[in-house]
Amino acid sequence: MKTLTRALLGATALTGAAALASAQETTLTIATVNNGDMIRMQGLADDFTAQHPDIALEWVTLEENVLRQRVTQDIATSGGQFDIMTIGTYEVPIWANQDWLVALEGMPEDWNQEDFLPAIADGLSVDGTLYAAPFYGESSMVMYRTDLMEAAGLEMPEAPSWDFIKEAAAAMTDKEAEVYGICLRGKAGWGENMAFLTAMANSYGARWFDENWQPQFDSEAWAAALNDYLELLNNYGPPGAANNGFNENLALFQQGKCGMWIDATVAASFVTNPSDSTVADSVGFALAPDNGLGKRGNWLWAWSLAIPAGTDDEAAAKEFIAWATGQGYTELVAENEGWANVPPGTRTSLYENEEYLAAAPFAEMTLESINAADPTSPTVDPVPYTGVQFVAIPEFQGIGTAVGQQFSAALAGQMSAEQALQSAQQLTTREMTRAGYIE
Amino acid sequence: MATQHSRAAARVMISPAVILLLGWMLIPLGMTLYFSFLRYNLLMPGANPFVGWENYSYFLSDPAFQTAIVNTLLLVLGVLLITVVGGVLIALLLDQPMWGQGIVRILVIAPFFVMPTVSALVWKNMFMNPVNGLFAHLFQALGLAPFDFLAQAPLASIIGIVSWQWLPFATLILLTAMQSLDSEQLEAAEMDGASPLARFFHIVLPHLARAITVVILIQTIFLLSVFAEILVTTNGGPGTASTNLTYLVYAESLLRFDVGTGSAGGVVAIILANIVAIFLMRMIGKNLDA
Amino acid sequence: MARAVTPRRKAINTALAWGIGILIFFPILWTILTSFKTEAQAIADPPLFLNFDWTLENYVTVQERSNYFRHFWNSVVISVGSTLIGLLIAVPAAWAMAFVPGRRTKDVLMWMLSTKMLPPVGVLVPIYLIFRDTGLLDSRIGLVIVLTLINLPIIVWMLYTYFREIPGEILEAARMDGAGLRSEILYVLTPMAVPGIASTLLLNIILAWNEAFWTLNLTAANAAPLTAFIASYSSPEGLFYAKLSAASTMAIAPILIMGWFSQKQLVRGLTFGAVK
Repeated sequence: MKTLTRALLGATALTGAAALASAQETTLTIATVNNGDMIRMQGLADDFTAQHPDIALEWVTLEENVLRQRVTQDIATSGGQFDIMTIGTYEVPIWANQDWLVALEGMPEDWNQEDFLPAIADGLSVDGTLYAAPFYGESSMVMYRTDLMEAAGLEMPEAPSWDFIKEAAAAMTDKEAEVYGICLRGKAGWGENMAFLTAMANSYGARWFDENWQPQFDSEAWAAALNDYLELLNNYGPPGAANNGFNENLALFQQGKCGMWIDATVAASFVTNPSDSTVADSVGFALAPDNGLGKRGNWLWAWSLAIPAGTDDEAAAKEFIAWATGQGYTELVAENEGWANVPPGTRTSLYENEEYLAAAPFAEMTLESINAADPTSPTVDPVPYTGVQFVAIPEFQGIGTAVGQQFSAALAGQMSAEQALQSAQQLTTREMTRAGYIE
Repeated sequence: MATQHSRAAARVMISPAVILLLGWMLIPLGMTLYFSFLRYNLLMPGANPFVGWENYSYFLSDPAFQTAIVNTLLLVLGVLLITVVGGVLIALLLDQPMWGQGIVRILVIAPFFVMPTVSALVWKNMFMNPVNGLFAHLFQALGLAPFDFLAQAPLASIIGIVSWQWLPFATLILLTAMQSLDSEQLEAAEMDGASPLARFFHIVLPHLARAITVVILIQTIFLLSVFAEILVTTNGGPGTASTNLTYLVYAESLLRFDVGTGSAGGVVAIILANIVAIFLMRMIGKNLDA
Repeated sequence: MARAVTPRRKAINTALAWGIGILIFFPILWTILTSFKTEAQAIADPPLFLNFDWTLENYVTVQERSNYFRHFWNSVVISVGSTLIGLLIAVPAAWAMAFVPGRRTKDVLMWMLSTKMLPPVGVLVPIYLIFRDTGLLDSRIGLVIVLTLINLPIIVWMLYTYFREIPGEILEAARMDGAGLRSEILYVLTPMAVPGIASTLLLNIILAWNEAFWTLNLTAANAAPLTAFIASYSSPEGLFYAKLSAASTMAIAPILIMGWFSQKQLVRGLTFGAVK
């Protein structure tokens, strides 16, 4: 096939010039998400190029879904368009097992690999070898408006239950004033609403699969979790919740339209940043809720930098990763943007840094949440998979998104919770049967 | 009459276009066809064994498949209806004497130059967003509850966005056609006491038939593969409420990375598109000959 | 066709037409206005129309974050390049189909149009693999090839409809005068076909400029046009309406301006051809 297509395109005499793209110096093409921390990294990258004048950086900054599709497609076909990819805890072990990633060995000494939080580093390692460097790590927690909570005459416990969340959401909602008691993810996607719902369901004692990979959406625990989720958002959520992802909710919270928001810990620095947030000085934090079953509804994730196997510039890529995820970068951000804005959740030393702890009121809660998540035992009942808010198998992103579509439709009122669970069960069974997990 | 010589010349002149398009059809299509019989998932590299019709039966038995067919048809027909009717009306209006006709025409055709991604982003965020969108503000000013367009009426919203993009094209072509209408004929009919409606249905509309054909043909080609607008606004949801065939194929091959099933879906989509094409040619091909 | 009408009637027409025109144009106007607001003003309730502090801050931010001019230049090269090559291939083909129609001409034409209905997502993976093997990924040449091929059917078909309107007798006359095929094309056909070619050219530049699937999926950094530039501004963290508006304005302005300036040409081509 290769020769055939070569010959055909050769005949059009257009290929010649395409190969001339090489340059004198090394150029690293970095694919990354358009999240605030990454955009900041791009802005500070002059520091790196000043240290390494022979390395030029090309940024491909894309929205999360587009990015994920582009990098997966590229790495799976060995397209070789990127030298560094921004991927997450879900992809790293799967891709490393396919030999698609370069192991991060032989990194500079001062990179201080031991400093990474064990919970985060474990998720990015296969057989003890690190395959991606965490850029920032996150769990999820409750962010709430202290002023509204006070006005409602309630006090947020450090570790609330789902019942308390319901009570507080009801008390804080004032639709006339466009204040909605709770904002949660509703946009369909395995990394959007399913991240939240899976973590929530874990705390209800639900699980994706039993030990024989039988889908469990027909369980009572799932029904309870989904019904509570729908009740919360339908009664106390903002309009359009079915289209809200992390970014949309962040914008709502910053405008003061959410009483509570259960989402990524990384949002804490955005909602407390006075230049973006109108409610910066009245935000409190609490652990993700539970139901007294021993598991909390919080997840674990790290946006990480990885090098695809087959890159031409492995050494330069490692240089860059060492810069972007090193302690020097943290200090650089602190110097330029203040300690509260440094990428959180990756290094132990950050949580021992007095300056950081003083500047970031959310630091302790973030660390506690990250440490509370256990990817190897995410659910109340035993499961055959790892991953808190995802199931670490390649099939999951397709199934997760399809199930997310059903739950999003239930939220939009197009079907009942019962129907949504039923079709989730059906489609998951269908996919798992086809993939050969179950008969 | 054409001579032998000119026939040969004509063949030579057509051949580059035909060969290129044949290559464009056959190479990717051939590969797609081949992939559609393999178990081939990008995320699970391996042997890619031959699986016969499995991918097809899997794609066709997907509950979303029927929804996607219906949605595709609704999308195409909805947009055609809005743009043709709207285009005729606006063209009629713009054909009347008025001040500043040139500027109005510029305003009306502007949406055609806007990238589908941009228009989808603008509509989704700045207009249809139920909290910060302009429509939400408007509804609130009128004392109504904000309507959540993309969740409550996803397909209709997308039809609206796509119609906004294609209305200028229809208007422009129909206006051009209308301006070539012999005004004496109209005036004569007016003298004979024909009502404006009768004049429209007996003189103007028949005159526009061919232009309408062109609009339908070109727009159908583009509307069958509407994709960016859906990806940006609803991701095919909620549920599968706004999934069309193109989006379904995308979901298989680029969200699940199941190239085998995606290819089978692609082949199905191509077959269906060709059925529509043949149907379309039969229906309106005569009009083009005139 | 200036019919005499009463001033009253004319005034009503004018008001109605302007109303509709502004309504249709409003989303674009609103985007442009929003691009000059701060993020907070962009979502203000009630919305602000003109009474805000105009700022260029968003444009500065966008330019800092992405290399607009490179994306812009890529868009220009890809859309103009693919259109010109497309015309080069399509003009002879359309000429031959229009003046030397055979029994199969119609079928060939319809077959060509039907290739346009091929859903791009269905063939992305094959094309991606071919491009990988030929080194065309993230190259402008690769995109020019793809866009030429996907727009070729439309180009051929539009030209064919224009050419068919040219009366055959003129060609016969030229042939009688002993003009060869080349001068027939050069001196007789070309002048008559120019409006049609021009409007085809414009229409295809617009289509190629706005093509967002292939341009996004086959590029990374080097060849990425404005469609990829926009993809980095859709739903980032925090408030983004103003920045999105600025980026959108920058992405659509060039083609909008070109379209406005050449709309007479565009229309003249359409008058000449397909719909008369």
